This record gives sequence, structure tokens and C-alpha cells, in this order.
Amino acid sequence: MSFTVHHPASVSDAVALAERYGADGRFLAGGTDLIIQIHRKRLASQHLIDLTGLAELRAIEDAGDEIRIGALATHKAIERNPLFQGALVALAEAARVVGGHQVRNVGTVGGNIANASPAADVVAPLLALEAEVVLQGAAATRRVRLRDFLAGPGRTMRGDGELVREVHVAKPPPRSATAFLKAGRRKAMEISVVCVAARLTLDDAGRCAAARIALGAVSATTMRAEAAERALEGALLTDDVLRDAGRLAAGACHPIDDVRASARYRRLLVEALVPRALARCVERISGRRS
Amino acid sequence: MRANRNLVAGQRLPRLDGAPKVTGRFVYGADFALPGTLYGKVLRSQVPHARIVRIDTGRARAMPGVRAVITAADIPATRFGNAIKDQTVFATDTIRFLGHPLAAIAATSVEAAEQALAAIEVEVEALPALYDPEAALASGAPLLHRDWHDYVALPFISRDGNVAGRTRMHGGDVAAAFAQAHRVYENRFTTALQHAGYTEPRAASAAWDGGDTLTVWTNAQLPFEVQTTLADILGMPTSRIRVIVPGVGGGFGGKLRIGVEHFAALLARQCGRPVKMVTTSEEELIAAHPRQAAIITLKTGVDRDGRILARQGRVIVDCGAYSGSGPGTGAVALQCLVGPYRTPNLEMESLAVYTNKVPSGSFRAPSGPMANFAVESQMDMIADDLGIDPLELRLRNIVRDGDTGPAGEVLRAVSIEECLRRAADAIGWHDRRPAPGRGKGIACSWWMTTGGSSGVYLKLNTDGSVNLASGAVELGTAALTGAAQVLAEQLTLDLEDIRIAPVDTQSTPYDYGAQGSRTAFSVGNACIAAAEDLRRQAFAVVARHLGLPADEMRLQGKCVVAGEHRVPLSEVARLSQLGGGGLIAHGTAINPPPAYDAARVENHPLPVWNTPSFHAHAADLSVDRDTGEITIHRYVVVQDVGYAINPTYIEGQIEGGVSQGLGQALSEEIVYSDGRVLNANLTDYKMPTSLDVPPIESILVECPSQAGPYGAKGVGEPPCIEPPATVANAIAAATGLWVTSLPITAEKVLLSLRKEYPQAVDHRDSARD
Ligand SMILES: Cc1cc2nc3c(=O)[nH]c(=O)nc-3n(C[C@H](O)[C@H](O)[C@H](O)COP(=O)(O)OP(=O)(O)OC[C@H]3O[C@@H](n4cnc5c(N)ncnc54)[C@H](O)[C@@H]3O)c2cc1C
Repeated sequence: MSFTVHHPASVSDAVALAERYGADGRFLAGGTDLIIQIHRKRLASQHLIDLTGLAELRAIEDAGDEIRIGALATHKAIERNPLFQGALVALAEAARVVGGHQVRNVGTVGGNIANASPAADVVAPLLALEAEVVLQGAAATRRVRLRDFLAGPGRTMRGDGELVREVHVAKPPPRSATAFLKAGRRKAMEISVVCVAARLTLDDAGRCAAARIALGAVSATTMRAEAAERALEGALLTDDVLRDAGRLAAGACHPIDDVRASARYRRLLVEALVPRALARCVERISGRRS
Repeated sequence: MRANRNLVAGQRLPRLDGAPKVTGRFVYGADFALPGTLYGKVLRSQVPHARIVRIDTGRARAMPGVRAVITAADIPATRFGNAIKDQTVFATDTIRFLGHPLAAIAATSVEAAEQALAAIEVEVEALPALYDPEAALASGAPLLHRDWHDYVALPFISRDGNVAGRTRMHGGDVAAAFAQAHRVYENRFTTALQHAGYTEPRAASAAWDGGDTLTVWTNAQLPFEVQTTLADILGMPTSRIRVIVPGVGGGFGGKLRIGVEHFAALLARQCGRPVKMVTTSEEELIAAHPRQAAIITLKTGVDRDGRILARQGRVIVDCGAYSGSGPGTGAVALQCLVGPYRTPNLEMESLAVYTNKVPSGSFRAPSGPMANFAVESQMDMIADDLGIDPLELRLRNIVRDGDTGPAGEVLRAVSIEECLRRAADAIGWHDRRPAPGRGKGIACSWWMTTGGSSGVYLKLNTDGSVNLASGAVELGTAALTGAAQVLAEQLTLDLEDIRIAPVDTQSTPYDYGAQGSRTAFSVGNACIAAAEDLRRQAFAVVARHLGLPADEMRLQGKCVVAGEHRVPLSEVARLSQLGGGGLIAHGTAINPPPAYDAARVENHPLPVWNTPSFHAHAADLSVDRDTGEITIHRYVVVQDVGYAINPTYIEGQIEGGVSQGLGQALSEEIVYSDGRVLNANLTDYKMPTSLDVPPIESILVECPSQAGPYGAKGVGEPPCIEPPATVANAIAAATGLWVTSLPITAEKVLLSLRKEYPQAVDHRDSARD
């Protein structure tokens, strides 16, 4: 295990370094995924490009109709930011249950996305919020949908030299709410056995105007439960309807058996947690109105 | 608690080693390093069972930074072990578990050593493996140790092929009693492999002086056992091996048996330089000394009122590839299977069985939690079936002062009723199912205070303070602070007047060691004896000095008081140095086992328990019926400690033990599949975090023993015994079903609720209160 650490002074320097080293180079943000992968010898990068000096990547900005989250924003920063206390609270709920305090103090949103674990907690609410990722390469900057960005376990459509610069989240319309739930063997320091994020918008008649459901740790990437979403839209959200959505989501996912849980249990969790997350959204919307 | 008239003993004083530990200045075994040290690493097998065809270290030897490479070919094939000498340093011809040491390398850096390990070529021929101890017991199963007959074993051990130890206890006529019983219950329970979870990995540094004298600095729990084991392995007299324990960052029994000291010693000898070794998390989880997985079958016959008529039990402990602490662990389960209950007819058997998995050890209350999980779950099933309150059923069956125990011994200082009643009161037993999905559970047990002897030296200093030299290691429990409190009390000193010397086999007296809930108890007793010796000598010094009779003197306020004269201990020290080479006192202690009926016990290393303690736990928890998730709201421990030498650290032992017990109950398990550990990292080996452990309320009962200092009983191990059963019973109160397999994960709970999990006893359909 031996590598060189580079400390670029600007984003463009960082991207230039990444371009130069190609597959031998890796960006280093909080290091909470990367260092462990190096330590467990799953990764042997020769060049680590340290992003932590690039303060501009840390910003969380309210840009009117969207919120721009810099890739280096830590989970702790998300957890504490008032922008994520209202309709976007699922992001804070997810950030709050990543690892423990030490991990949240250094682990970043950009790292969570770029690492592309199917169990990445913050990815689930971002996916439910139809987030977009801004990628900066040496030649160009492009903006892609998060769902297109995620390509498989540990795989993304990011080019070798490309930096995840920001994540953009549109502010949901009025009468919207989000919720995030996580199941695992422990209440902290836990990789999700299943996580569920939901975003719901109700119309004035109390019917579902829009529903977005993201499921973590039950397929190759964090996935949307689209059949369940469609079943909800236009419906009055009775307990039965929510339960059906849970069943549809459970039917649509592709969990595996592993040391953390059986596929069967993961499916049952999806079935239980999807209605619960949706119900929480409904409560939040009606709570806010009163 | 009783009123405490002592000024130092019984007080909540801060521990003597507290400040350096919380400020990071304390030097633990893994911190210790010698100038010019090399770093050692062990090559471990990648297959569970195989014949070694060839090990070629040629390429590794030529790698940069490599200074020593050893394999079985370089050393005599000496066998060592605790109960059975069945182990060698490296696999000689047969690999018996994945993780089995094959070679060791010392190099100038850890990385260089790791790179060189990867360059060793190993060729093996796979052998059919046995992972299931019941399969290993089947007739015709392949023998995992073909030479088992030639192994040297402790004389009491009964072995046979894959059975490394078999123990029995019996009394009365079980068959006749079952025939007459109102009902007979038979259940099977399984428990998982659990790592001891010490924060500091096992570590050792070794250095040779002139080729024939070895010093090892290690975080071992039993420096004297490490010394004799090294003497066996190296073929050297014990006095040429010096074992020093700088400090231990937790052991819990996992650091009893030799860890990496022998590798460090062998490598250091070969290259003539000091060698340091520290295990990785992966090595800890594939090749440490975890708690055995166990299979327990329990059959209990009761009368109409729920009184136990007979109990038959069988425990199989999975030793893994080598016996380790397995035979003793299996044996001790038998007393736990009887439990603190009157059992007129009993027949108990334990089998410690070899398999191709990690050799296991003796983790805190070695088989207590497994056996207790079985007994106490079944007590609740019986209560539920008979429509008797579980507390009431226990009260009808518990032992009382003067009853006989399982080996026919007379039980004294029995406090189990008080423990049960207070635990029930504290948890609010009257309201056992406060809400749907919520329930309260109770479980109780007894446990021994392990015997073994202790010696201490005291040296009186000219500032009036006293050095205490004991061979017992401070594991982190504050047991040595407890012993020092006893000593200070005896000598009218303050706790801060006691200086505890580092453990060094060359200079500290022998101690049976920091294990078995015995340290504060036994070292405390040795301190009382040594204090007596010190007083006698001090009075003689003063008698000579003042010409007064020694038999009228006493110690008071750090002075020898003789009539009107008060001679401070500092002055006594000075006087003794003038004329007597200073004042050195010595004390020893041994707690002999009570009388018992040998006809009731076969092949048992601890046939009768010394100074048993009694305890009861209660929990209040909720079960999420959709996810199976368990949330513990409150957890209560009532423990009879005889005399609380320092209540603060007893509470610490209780909180830590319960946390470990909850880990075993709910989340921890070294998971094997085809001989390979699937979760050999701390991401997937799930010890509870601070958020998983509920507030723990400790209630200390003081029912004094005859044998312990001021009436103390052993304290350290018991708190981890009852949590699995307590949790299982609370889950049953909440759901109507018992999961009979540890850990009781949310997944098992949910699948059991859906009738999709076979290892559960479901009373939901039967009539209940
Ligand atoms: C003890 C522990 C507990 C954990 N618990 C959780 C948990 O509960 N939930 C969870 O989701 N995760 C968890 N993790 C994983 C990890 O903390 C998170 O995924 C975290 O968000 C990763 O961010 P980081 O900044 O540390 O990434 P790094 O480790 O620095 O990087 C991860 C990967 O992303 C790449 N990368 C990082 N930033 C960028 C960028 N801006 N552009 C392009 N590529 C980039 C790196 O090159 C690397 O390949 C845990 C980790 C640990 C060690």
C-alpha cells in the first residue's frame, strides 16, 4: 500500500490531476470509503487527489427554486442545515444516521454518491428528490440525472477524470413532504439492510399529486419503486393504498441474501417501511397545514 | 446495601489508574515498542481443512526488509494447550481451520512483512471438513485429530475422537421422575460464536538477551500461563522467560490463552532483534479465542404447581479446531443448566467437540449465557404453559440457604429470592404487558467465584505509602483498585497511599490471574493476609525501638499506636531500613472449594462452585411487529456482590457485561459458511453501540460470603449471563413466542412472527392469561 497524495489548490487543478492520472488516480474527500477500500486491498490507487482544501466545494446554497449541495458538504453539515428541516427533511434524516459522529464529521455527500454503494443512505432521498449531479471534467461540465449517474454497485457514469462538483435538488411544490427510514441490526454504525426514502405531494383534495419512492440495499443501485409511485398518484392515501404501494415496491426490488440479511427479510422490510415512510409524509403535510 | 463502616473499602473512590487512562497517557500492550523493533506478521491458511503439500518461503526471504521467516520446519513440533496439549505453533502437516498459522515473518515495516507473506507459496490438498459439531459426533465422522490418543491432557479429561471433553453430573432418578411428572418440556437451543470484543487487539513485543533469556511485553491476562506456555514451546526453563504486562485494553477472557507472544519470540530469536506483533480486526475475527457456539437440549419435568421434578440437559460446545478452553466451558455449563433451582433429579452432560473452525476460548462467564438462555427461556415457557406467573414459578423453585447444590454441596449466603423480587419490583412486574408489542422479561442465575491462589508482596515506603506487587493484571475492571482499597482499609491508609507495581513474572508473586470473577476477591484476601504480616513486622520494629510490648499495639490513622506513643508508618519504614533492610510483607490467599459428593460428578474441572453469587435481570422492551426490530426501554440488574468494595466499578462491570450480553442476545455472531468467516470485519460483526444499549439500572445486594474480603463475592462475569434469556423472555411477553437461537435478530423475530422461522417456540395459539 503506497501512494502519492496531491493537494490541488483549485477545482481546475484537481480536475487536471485527475485527467493526468486517469484510472490510477482517485479523489479523496472524507476518505471514509476510500481509505477502508485501500486498507482492505480492494483498491490500489497510486495517486490520491485530496479535495479537502477546496472550500468552494463545501457550500450548501439556496438558489431559489433549487438547492445546490457542494460535493464536499459533510453529512453533519446536511444534518444541521436549516434548508433541510422542512419539506426536504429526508435528507437530514438520512445524513443523521450515517455511521457515527466521527464518520459524519468527515464523510461527504459527494463521496456517498460517487462511491455508489447500493446501501448509500443519502443517495436514497436524493433519488426520491430526482436530484441532478454536476460533473466537471477537464474539458467540460455536464449535468446528469442522479438515476442515470448510478450504473451499478460501485459503478457510475462518471469519467475517470471527472469530479462530482455539486448536487442539485429542486424544491418541492407546496403540500409536499419527504421521509427517510433505515433498517439495520444496530441503531448506529450500520450499513442499511434496507433504506427507504419517500417524497409525496398532495393536491388540495387530499389526493396524491406526485409520489417518489427510492429503495436502498435491495438492488444493484439505489432504485425507484415506480410501479408503487404510479399506483399512488391520483389516489386517496388510505392505509390500504399505502400497504399496496409497499407490496408493489417489495415486488419490484431485487434483494440478495448476504451476511447482513436474507433477500426474504429485505423484501419484508420494503413492504413494511414504504407505507410507513409514506404515512409519515402524509402526517407531515397535514401537520404543516394545521 | 448494608451500612458500610469502612473508610476506604466500600467507598466510591476514583480508580488508581483512571487519570492516565482517560488522558491517553497510559501505555497499553499495543502501544509498547522497543527501539529498533521489527514487525511480525502471520501467514494464515486460506482453506479450512487440508493436507500441506509444500510451503515455499524462498521468494519471501528475498523480499526487501524481511529479516526472519519461520515455518513449522524451523521449530520442534511441540504441542501445547490449556487442558489438552493439541496445538502446535504452525500447522505441521494438517491445516484444521481457515486462519491456521502456517508461517511468520518479521520485517522492517508492517507493509514489508505483509508483502512478504503474499510471496509465500502454499500448496495444499483439500480434506473433507466438518463444521457442524453434531456431524462431528456422528459415528463414522472423520477424525479431525488422528493422533488424539497421543496428546497429553489434564488427568480428569475424558476424550474420545472428535470429543475433546465430556463431563457429567447426575443425582436421583431422572427417568422415574419424568414418568411421574405432570408435564415434561423438551427444547433445543442454539447459540453463536461471539468475539470477546476487547478494544485493544492482542499485541506482544519480544526481545532476547544473549540468546538464552527472553523478555515479552504483552497485554495477556495470564502472564504466568503465557510464561509456562512459552517455556513449553521454546523448550526453556520458565525463569529464563520474563513476561511483563504494560497494560491491557480489555480482555474478557479472550486474552487468557497465548495470543501472538510465541510468534514474536520465535521471530525475535531468529533475527536477533526485537519483534512486535499486533493482530488485525480480521485476525481477531477468524483466529482469536471467541465464545463457543453451543447446542443445548433441555428436558424438564414439573408437577402440577410447576415444581421441578427432574431435569436432563445436554450441551455441545463447538471447540473449533483445537480444544482451547472448550472442555472446561462445556463442564461449567452443567451447573448453569441446573440453575439456582431445587432439582431433585438431574442428569447433565457436556460434550466439547472439534470442528474445522476457529479454536475457541473462555469469554466472560464462559458458558453461562448459553446455558442460562436455555434454562430461563424454558422456565418461562413452562410458566406460560401452566398459566403461572414466571416470577412466581421461579420463586417456587429457587434454592434456599442450606439447600444442596448440583454436586451435593451445601449452599450458603443464598440471595436469589431477594434478587428476583427486587428486579421484578424495579421493572414494574405488575404490569408485564403494558402495551401491544411491549413486554417485560425476567431471568436469574448463579455463578461461581473462581478459586486459584494469589500472592502479594508489600513494601513500606519512607513516605508512609505502600507498594503492592501482585501477579494479577488490571484488565480494566478496577479490580486492583478494589484490592488496594481493601489493603488501605487494613492499614488505615488512604487509597492514594497504595502504589500498584506493574506485573512482571520476574518480580511479582504468582497469581492465578485476572479471570473468573476472582481478582478483587482473591487479591483482596491476599492483601488482608499481607496487611496482617505488615502490621506484625511494624509492631516488632516499634517494639524494638521503644522497648514496648508488640501485642498491645494497633494501627490507627497511619500510625502504630503503642500506649501514648504514635509512630507514623513513614517512621516505621525509616527505622526498618536502618536496621532491617526495609519492611517487606507477604500474603497469600486460596479459597478452597466446599465439600461435595464426588459420586455426582464425572470428569469435571470445577465440580463444585466456590462462593457462588446470585443475580436477576429484567427488561422492558418493544417489538416492531412489521420489522421485528427490538427497542429496549429499560434494563435492570440486581446482583448479589456480597460486599461492594467499590460500587462505582461494580456498576461499570454490570453496564459493560450487560452490553456484551445484549450483543450476544441481539446482534453478535461470527458467521461461517463452508469454513469461511463471512463477517471478518467490524462493519459486519455487530457489537452494540451506545445507541443500542438502554439505560442500565444496577441494584447491588450485599449478602455477605464467608470467604471474600469483607464478605465480597465475585462480580465481574455475571452481568453478561442473563441478558440473552431476559431479552428472549421479554420478547415472548410482547409477542407470545420465544426465538430459541442466538442472536435474536430482528429478522428472526419477524420471520418467527410470520411462522417462517423454525427455531422458535410459538405459544400464540395456546390459551394464555
Ligand atoms: C464506520 C463507517 C460507517 C459508515 N456508515 C455509513 C452509513 O451508515 N451510511 C452510508 O451511506 N455510508 C456509510 N459509510 C460510508 C461512507 O462514510 C459514506 O459513503 C461517505 O459519504 C463517503 O464520503 P467520503 O467523503 O468519506 O468519501 P471518500 O471515501 O473520500 O470517497 C469515496 C469514493 O468517492 C470518490 N469521490 C469522493 N468525492 C468525490 C468527488 N467529489 N468527485 C468524484 N469522486 C469522488 C472517491 O474517489 C472514492 O472512490 C460508513 C463508513 C464508515 C467508515
